[in-house]
Amino acid sequence: MKRRLPLALVLIFGIWGILTFFLPHSVPQEIDSLFRNNTLRIMVVFALILGLSSLIRHHSEKIRRRREYYQYSWITLISLFITAVIGLFGGGLTPAHHGLLPTSIGGFSFHIATLYRYIIIPVQASMFAILAFFMASASYRAFRARNMAATVLLVAAFIVMLGSVPLSRQILDTLPGFAQFILDVPNTASKRGIAFGVGLGSIATSLKIILGIERGWLGGEK
Amino acid sequence: MSHDPWVWVAAILTLAVFSFLYRENPFYRVAEHLVVGVANGYFITAEYHQILKPGLIDLIARGQLNIELVLSVLGALLGLLYVMRFFPKASWLVRIPIAITLGYGSGYAIPRGMDASVLRQVGGTLVTPSDFTHFPALMAQAGQQLAHWRIDQALLSVLNAFGQPIIMLGAIATVAYFYFSSERKGILKPLSTAGIVFIMLGFGASFGYTVMARISLLIGRFQFLFRDWLGLIH
Amino acid sequence: MPDKPAATPGTRLTFWESMLRIPRQVVYLFIALAVIVPLFAPFVIRPTPSEPVVSLYNVIDSMPLERALVLSVDYTPDIEPELHPMTIVLLRHAFARRLKVGVLCLQIPGIGLADMAINQVVEEFNSRARTPQDSLRYGVDYIFWGFQTPLLTVLTGMGEDITKVFPVDANRTRTDSLPISREIRNYNNIGMVVSIAGSSLPLSWITYAQTVFGVKIGTGITAVSAADFYPYYSKTRQFSGLLAGMKGAAEYEQLVADGYPRSTAGLRRLATERMASQTTAHAAIMLLIIIGNVAFFATRKRKVKS
Repeated sequence: MKRRLPLALVLIFGIWGILTFFLPHSVPQEIDSLFRNNTLRIMVVFALILGLSSLIRHHSEKIRRRREYYQYSWITLISLFITAVIGLFGGGLTPAHHGLLPTSIGGFSFHIATLYRYIIIPVQASMFAILAFFMASASYRAFRARNMAATVLLVAAFIVMLGSVPLSRQILDTLPGFAQFILDVPNTASKRGIAFGVGLGSIATSLKIILGIERGWLGGEK
Repeated sequence: MSHDPWVWVAAILTLAVFSFLYRENPFYRVAEHLVVGVANGYFITAEYHQILKPGLIDLIARGQLNIELVLSVLGALLGLLYVMRFFPKASWLVRIPIAITLGYGSGYAIPRGMDASVLRQVGGTLVTPSDFTHFPALMAQAGQQLAHWRIDQALLSVLNAFGQPIIMLGAIATVAYFYFSSERKGILKPLSTAGIVFIMLGFGASFGYTVMARISLLIGRFQFLFRDWLGLIH
Repeated sequence: MPDKPAATPGTRLTFWESMLRIPRQVVYLFIALAVIVPLFAPFVIRPTPSEPVVSLYNVIDSMPLERALVLSVDYTPDIEPELHPMTIVLLRHAFARRLKVGVLCLQIPGIGLADMAINQVVEEFNSRARTPQDSLRYGVDYIFWGFQTPLLTVLTGMGEDITKVFPVDANRTRTDSLPISREIRNYNNIGMVVSIAGSSLPLSWITYAQTVFGVKIGTGITAVSAADFYPYYSKTRQFSGLLAGMKGAAEYEQLVADGYPRSTAGLRRLATERMASQTTAHAAIMLLIIIGNVAFFATRKRKVKS
């Protein structure tokens, strides 16, 4: 029952998902639409609760057990609580709608849109921006034309990099053309070959899940 | 220099993250933990205001018994089963909503994925007569360019003329490279070698573009620091 | 494994061996200078639009006015510098043509970015409007639907009834109360969807929206993903057009500036501004790779000789 019921459900809903593609009749399409727009949508939202509770549990545990750097967990939990309160009671994601809580004092705004713009964007953008430094350092230290394959990769990378900048026309007016050719032809060819494998592989995996051959998602317990 | 306190907050957080380039330090950790908390608070807000409230709470508040309300409440009940994960004796119930979403999503993806990612891509790989529509013009162009000693232009014209056959050969060679079920001999050996050449050209193109991507992000951050914060660039 | 020649005590390192032992902070500084200097001393760049960019521009430029342009803002703050200029220039193009515009997000972090882009471009247009009729009005000329999940619900549901997929918009207004919802009911009223993303979401648009409903899909993607998306443009034309990274955004800005000079005069072209730094940084990276390889072969030759 603990394994048979979920396996039966995955089979039923899997077959239903496939059939919706082949049944243009209005009755199954309407049923499918109602399921998607109502049941499925609300179900997926509750999955957020799982993720959130895991996060809160992890940091609470860290504080309780006084693990290394536990003090920073206070920052996470407090900022999560404050942001959620501002967002839930402050009117929503955009300043257009007013809520129970005021989100500005004088000219100073603490609306969730402001927090997003001046906390989330700078930190996340900066985290990815520093990758440029690591990429440069790694290119300098490890990108070597040791053999034929690496040399081909290096030459292709150089042509594409040169072709990406408008000034490349001053070096050779056909350089952007060669860069575009590499993208349009050999790159397309290799990525297509890989895409065939990935596409067929994911279809095979989906079928294995539906037919109950792939059971990893059930977890370990019986 | 900016007088907006929030711009200063953003600049300080940017520099805190950049300090990681030296080594991991308390400023970086503060920024990291802060963004995790704020981002999750933002997620809660979005899911509540955009989905939960209009899709469930407002429906219940309206009090009209209809199929949408019944199905939404059913969705909520099924969704609440996710919480069973925290109760060891009933934790198996979490498999029910997972089974529904996984099964439906997998089944939905099969025919559509087959069409978009396999069949149409195979169609785009095959050489057809229409691929040679521009062949005579391109070859004539190559001839003229050679006559003017523009070898680079002539080479480009010839390569573009044979573009589709090269794509087909390259795709087959790439698939051949990843075929490990038999020994590499006969036709498979040169085909695999050709495959690795095409794969390396593709990865080279990806690397070239990755450089552009990473640099773009860095430029954006420096522009913010020097223009919006310090006001040194106009 | 990075190759640094082992330092034997008492042995003098050659120039190339020293080059291989440069601290990483020197490399970081070199890249930082390559990016920062052109910000202070920019040089003019006029990008030449490539074929996939021209293709996207032509589709939007020739779209009938009764069809809407839909932007799916699916990127996150970490790739904002690369993709945000695309959202802005696409909005400018659509509003310059007075196309109806709908904006949605399939990922929560995209909501704030979409809101910022819409507010910026609408303000740009309305500040130049001479009459109230020239102004862009929310709910009449454009709508921001906000976020919905899951993917299947949105991409398939938009083929049936958009107000069922988005019962409220990002401002929590009921979508069926807005006049624009009578004009944009489903994909039949949409000329093109442009998915601006840093992930494989544009492929989902092709799989679930185009395959079933035949709607035209364009995409603006990060340069990291661009090479992977070319198979869906080349010959198959599953993507009607493609903007790859900041270069693609700069090329599109050039096309819009050339096509609509009055509407876009004096407006900042974010991607084009950054191309000068992009150029010098590319040159710096290539120089680093060349020096690294020369040093590698020079030291290898020395090791073989000794």
